[in-house]
Amino acid sequence: MINTIAYGLTIGAILFIISIGLSLTFGTMRIVNFAHGLVYTIGAYLLVSILPFVRNNFILGALIAVLAVIPISYVIERFVIRKLYGVSIDYAIIATYAVVLIGIDAIKWIWGASPIPLSDPVGIDVNFIGITLPLYRLIIILLAIAIFFALSIFFKKSMVGKIVIAALEDKDAVRGLGISVEKYFTYVFVIGSSLAALGGVLYAPITSVHPYMGMMVLLVSFAVVLVGGLGNIKGTFISAFVLGMVMAITGRFWGPAAETMVFVVMGIVLIFKPIEV
Amino acid sequence: MLSVTNLDVAYGNAMVLHGISMEVEQGQMVFVAGRNGAGKTTLFKSIAGFLKPSSGAVLFEGKSIVGLPPEKVALLGIRYIFQDKRVFSNLTVRENLELAAYPVKENMKDAVDKVLQIYPKMEKFLSLRAGSLSGGQRQILLIGRALIGNPKLLLIDEPTEGLAAGTINDVLNVLSLMRGKVSMVIVEQNLSVVGMLADKVYMVKEGKIMKEIVEKAEINDKMAMESYL
Repeated sequence: MINTIAYGLTIGAILFIISIGLSLTFGTMRIVNFAHGLVYTIGAYLLVSILPFVRNNFILGALIAVLAVIPISYVIERFVIRKLYGVSIDYAIIATYAVVLIGIDAIKWIWGASPIPLSDPVGIDVNFIGITLPLYRLIIILLAIAIFFALSIFFKKSMVGKIVIAALEDKDAVRGLGISVEKYFTYVFVIGSSLAALGGVLYAPITSVHPYMGMMVLLVSFAVVLVGGLGNIKGTFISAFVLGMVMAITGRFWGPAAETMVFVVMGIVLIFKPIEV
Repeated sequence: MLSVTNLDVAYGNAMVLHGISMEVEQGQMVFVAGRNGAGKTTLFKSIAGFLKPSSGAVLFEGKSIVGLPPEKVALLGIRYIFQDKRVFSNLTVRENLELAAYPVKENMKDAVDKVLQIYPKMEKFLSLRAGSLSGGQRQILLIGRALIGNPKLLLIDEPTEGLAAGTINDVLNVLSLMRGKVSMVIVEQNLSVVGMLADKVYMVKEGKIMKEIVEKAEINDKMAMESYL
């Protein structure tokens, strides 16, 4: 059971890192961005390609992979997402899903369709408050907590953060002050995409890297965002860990129902706390 | 200062404004009065850049502003104060002011002073979340926020709507303090308020200007004004 909890915390940490960008994009731009899952996948594949060039230095490889995703996410934002501001949410789903399909085919063409395994970059187990777990997983959990605090401070203290918080509530009122919100949405999108890529990079050694890895995690991430509240950093953090734990505990007793149970929880939450999209 | 000529605005195929024309001079307090659905807010949104007119001209200080995005219109000196007291409720009062000072590069102390000059009581609310303010305080915060960066024209949508009588007086005091310092176009349904403050009134009905009233005696004649609604 202790291992299950440790697994749940790791899943929760990864889900938070991926979902926070989705939450901010959904909250500010009201755009359902399926391409977020593609960015996650690209991050993992870039890591696979970069590692041999940096003598398997995981930290350096991860850093380069995340940075390399920034121009890709900028192109997606500039030429697809920006054209979807203010239009029906259906168009956003169709357009970003098209990006995913094109992206997955491009990945298969470049890297092939077979799963690529990656080994644990740390390879050490630690005993932490009575739980024995791989150090790598503990690092991911601590990293997610650090990202949560860093983002909370960023959105509380920086002008970019305050503009985004204001735009989450009333985009037109921000524009009425003379602030071009699109520029700040781009920042949010790039930060969110970089975190998605980081999620892919971090999760790659736990699972295997394959073209559809992003699609699988994306649906669960949407559940995290809807349960946590659009653009709500604290809510997304709590929701990610709770749903990660739901997945892990359900998976221990009935494997095939692990993801389904996440959507059952989401459904229950939405009955009591519906959202407006 | 502001000249609107033959403005037509449509939502899809539905025409909302039909040939609206109006003039606002420097320092004037102009009111737009009409019932719900008359097109008053649509007129403001069209001037402020949130809606693109189908035809017609909007000139501000002699230059066309039709088609400019709202942020550009705001930086030219036109501030639109929305209906419904829409403050950024998750930010503090000070942060609301900070956000307004940022695009116009105004010193934060000057920005706060500007608001305290028109409403000294705001000082004790500066660190509170704007969402915790009363309706009247929110309205005054919005007006104060709009004054940051020395705008030339304020478009104020229904400033007294939903406020208690005592609070309305606070808002009217603030508007009176600003008279002559900045031009204002105010959408208002309360004809008593219009009578107290207006230099000129445009009566709007079903998207058309029914009457332009400039005579003070006529502005104060509530019965006569109501006949145009």
